[in-house]
Amino acid sequence: MDKLIRIDNLHKSFYDGDSELKVLKGVNLDVHKSEILAIMGASGVGKSTLLHIIGTLDRPSDGSIFYEDQDITQFSENELTQFRNDAIGFVFQFHQMLPEFTALENVVMSRLIKNSKRGSSVDAKSSGSKDFYETAEQLLDSVGLSDRLNHYPSQLSGGERQRVAIARALMNNPKVVLADEPTGNIDDKTSDAVLDVLWDVNERLNQTFIIVTHDSRISERAKRTVRLIDGRIAE
Amino acid sequence: MKFEWFVASRYLLSRRKQSFISIISVISIAGVGLGVATVILVIAVLDGVDHGLRERFLANEAHVVLRLHGNNFFSDYQNRIDRITQVEGVEAASPVVYSQMGVFQEGQTSITDAILVKGIDLEQEDKVTGFSQYVTGSVDFQTSPLIELTEFREGETIAGGIVLGFRLASQLGLTQGDVLRVVVKLEENTGSVGSPTLFVDFANFVVIGIYESELAIYDSSIGYIDLNTAQKEYKNVGKVNAIFVRLEDEDMASALSHKIKDAAQFSTTFEFPVTSTWIDKYAPLFAALKMEKIATVIIETLIILVAAFNIVSTLIMTVMEKTRDVGMLRTLGASRGHIIGIFMMKGSVIGMLGTIAGTALGLYICWLLSTNVMRPSPWIVNACIGILSCSITGIAYQRIGPVIVTFSIFAIIFSINIFIIPFLVLSSTMTTVLIILGVIALGIFSIVGLIIPWHKLSSIWKPTSFALVLLAIGFILFCYVKPISLKELGFSEIYQMNQLPIKVNWFFVSFINLLSFVICWLATIYPAWQASNLKPIEALQYE
Repeated sequence: MDKLIRIDNLHKSFYDGDSELKVLKGVNLDVHKSEILAIMGASGVGKSTLLHIIGTLDRPSDGSIFYEDQDITQFSENELTQFRNDAIGFVFQFHQMLPEFTALENVVMSRLIKNSKRGSSVDAKSSGSKDFYETAEQLLDSVGLSDRLNHYPSQLSGGERQRVAIARALMNNPKVVLADEPTGNIDDKTSDAVLDVLWDVNERLNQTFIIVTHDSRISERAKRTVRLIDGRIAE
Repeated sequence: MKFEWFVASRYLLSRRKQSFISIISVISIAGVGLGVATVILVIAVLDGVDHGLRERFLANEAHVVLRLHGNNFFSDYQNRIDRITQVEGVEAASPVVYSQMGVFQEGQTSITDAILVKGIDLEQEDKVTGFSQYVTGSVDFQTSPLIELTEFREGETIAGGIVLGFRLASQLGLTQGDVLRVVVKLEENTGSVGSPTLFVDFANFVVIGIYESELAIYDSSIGYIDLNTAQKEYKNVGKVNAIFVRLEDEDMASALSHKIKDAAQFSTTFEFPVTSTWIDKYAPLFAALKMEKIATVIIETLIILVAAFNIVSTLIMTVMEKTRDVGMLRTLGASRGHIIGIFMMKGSVIGMLGTIAGTALGLYICWLLSTNVMRPSPWIVNACIGILSCSITGIAYQRIGPVIVTFSIFAIIFSINIFIIPFLVLSSTMTTVLIILGVIALGIFSIVGLIIPWHKLSSIWKPTSFALVLLAIGFILFCYVKPISLKELGFSEIYQMNQLPIKVNWFFVSFINLLSFVICWLATIYPAWQASNLKPIEALQYE
């Protein structure tokens, strides 16, 4: 299987005054293309921290992360921002949608950001952006929200918001989608529907997912599950 | 549309019901706007007063007066005047015999008053001070029929006619046709023995006209007689003791006074010519006005600064409220530059809208303060305010309140029938049009505002109802803001103006616009920078 991400001896410590809190103590992990990898672990063990570092939102204290042989720990701030925009999709426990924008606009946002760096217009009607809005519509359609395009987040249910978040994560054809407790804030029945969407996307688009969770139903469905124990990975 | 603007504009127009941020945007815009409007208005009033006083002082005032030291008489004045008028920037010059005379009234044993007497050449004086246009009655100092008539009636020799300032005339109890006896000169009788006696040189003048300018100084102290008569009375035929000069540009007075002195070709060793300008005369007043204006500009800049702090705090609040959004945008790949752009754009738009709104408001109030048209009765205004506030309430709560609808419709019909129709008969066409527009606007606005909730209004309706609100506010201002009558306040004598003068200085308006915008723009930098410094993870976890 193709290796997408190689995490090499990753350390992360947090400092509170003089005291050092070691969260990650040498994580080694490979993520393969098109797999759904579940990372399990007790609360506070550093699952989210690991995910944030993989997602370039945080920097490791030591160690390397290779995306297809590119070491992103060597990237500058701007390069990381660019890389995050291009290659990574996020789904958080709390949907984190922008409340002033419709579902469609929330989905298309990351493409607009990408496009704006080339100085293009973001208007829905302009020729350059028209395709993006169509793509976003298709994505929302594929997560079963074709009738909610112009609804604002406040007008959507928790499960619907999470499905919008998935569609948003897919907008820029990312290398990997990182999900942090995607079902942590919704009830079981809705969770199943959201997970169905994830697995459906994985099958149809061969999209790679890394899901941090302590929801055992995810680990049961996942192709591969690893555990984070005491700052290290246990397969 | 740029990405930053796409986000910033949405933040400005925040549609969420719970969100108070857009109301704060409105308050910030109003803060900047009121600051700018106040500055424009106050400066317009100060400029108006300055300009109004200047106009009145200078209307009948010579810009430069040329005399000799000791008020001595000099000859050859017509040649000197010809040379002075050839100086570039000089419009006209006139010869004057300027002196004081004592008033000697019938039945009195002493001199009761002293008046300034100006002996003038009518034709030349008119060019310098526009003398004739302020006179009611005659200006024919020598040939007025009143002179012969009075001579015949009183049996006395009459030196000529005199034109008196109207305050002076009423103070002396004189009207046209009355005789004024003045002491021209006291002369020592050198032939007497012992203590010297004085010859008193009397002259009789007939009041042929009354001089009324808007300036109390002139009206209460000066009498005008013919130049030749004055020369004869002072036994200085062919000589005068002053030349009054009018310039093309009064502000050049100081600069030109030397050239005028030179052109007159006096001997500086024996004659000592001196010039005085209107600026010297009124210097304290205009200096005070200028100082006041400078102080005002400083204070008003502070007002705009206050408004700018308002923007800073609004933006900081926005940044706090949008922390999670910033986190998400950063997670989605927005750069720090994007975040700075979004928040600076938002602040700049607040500043720009505030500046534009303030300029419009300030200029509108200036216009209202200087335009005399009949205003609608306060009842109509009250009815309109009632409807407007009902509409705003309706929009704010976004629901159809049957009571509000009923009341509004009732208020509209009531006000049209009772107040507007009778008023229309009385008022001018322009007011009629304005009232009809105002009522229609309020009517449409009320109906739209009450029946259709704001968020369901189509994109055409939103700016339309916004324009209607502006129209309504404009209408209410129109009803209440009118020229301030100094006469009614009892100030007209002091300020010599009937109405508070307004003068819009376009250069200053542009300057304040620019200043306000720059201050507001600077105010956006810190909050925007602060937003861009948020760490994505911390921002996402922010509660």
